[in-house]
Amino acid sequence: MLTCHQVAEGATEYMEGAAPPMRRLGVWAHLRVCRNCREYLRQLSRTIGLARRALVPPPAPEVEDGLAAIFAAQGRPGAAE
Amino acid sequence: MRRNRGGIGVAPQGSYQAGAEEAATLARLRAGDQAAFRTLVRERHGRLLRLAGAFCRNRASAEEVVQETWLAVITGLHGFSGEAPLAAWINGILVNKAKTRAVRDGRMVNFSDLARDEGEGDAFEPERFLPDGHWAEQHRPWDALTPEREAGDRQLLAGVGEALEKLPPAQRAVVLLRDVEGLESPAICKALGISEANLRVLLHRARVKLRDAADRMVRG
Ligand SMILES: [Zn+2]
Repeated sequence: MLTCHQVAEGATEYMEGAAPPMRRLGVWAHLRVCRNCREYLRQLSRTIGLARRALVPPPAPEVEDGLAAIFAAQGRPGAAE
Repeated sequence: MRRNRGGIGVAPQGSYQAGAEEAATLARLRAGDQAAFRTLVRERHGRLLRLAGAFCRNRASAEEVVQETWLAVITGLHGFSGEAPLAAWINGILVNKAKTRAVRDGRMVNFSDLARDEGEGDAFEPERFLPDGHWAEQHRPWDALTPEREAGDRQLLAGVGEALEKLPPAQRAVVLLRDVEGLESPAICKALGISEANLRVLLHRARVKLRDAADRMVRG
């Protein structure tokens, strides 16, 4: 039987589907009986969702305007390229 | 235009079919629609800057790489075949530009050295486990994290953004590429010059740290 420590260390390998078959089986068996590890892996998984939605600062207005101006110039007939 | 990805895996490459919304966006961009372009800039610019920051050693060069990326996107829109999501295509351009530039300027972050340094030892502090290998603490469910908060709690999502910025550079790079932007592992290994094993070790450490940060914030 794997320990919680082993399951926690191997959590990403397991979640990424990269664990060798016997290891995978061992983690699966542990998770069936260990609520604490199940909760931990669920939280790791939800963390990925949060990371995907993590906010970044919006572009400064002058940056957006500058890019929009380049876009407009490129779209005109006879523009470079 | 953002695609939903179910679960933890990502859609296999080569089977991408643009949805109606994405196809409409692309058509508007190709027609020179200013509003569509501004929306794209608002959606992607900050994320591109964050991603460039993982490759570049300073803010100024990250900004230049992002600028070069936008120029390539603008000139390349008509040639883009739509065989990948628009965001993935733009990310690919950025990664190439960032690498080329960093190598040329001799400022390429050596991810394989970083992977060795950042991957040493255990991902967890020893006190988190009892001597018999059980957790020292009970993980209480994130009941306070409702789907509504998950999607729209700006304070929480900004906090997660700050936690991402605080990660060591190689861990930040892999979690941004894999979990945030959804690149496939082989593409990430190639871009960073690291092995799959390196990638998993770094990803694991990053996720463990982000989960701990999220745990504190969820319980507030
Ligand atoms: Zn356990």
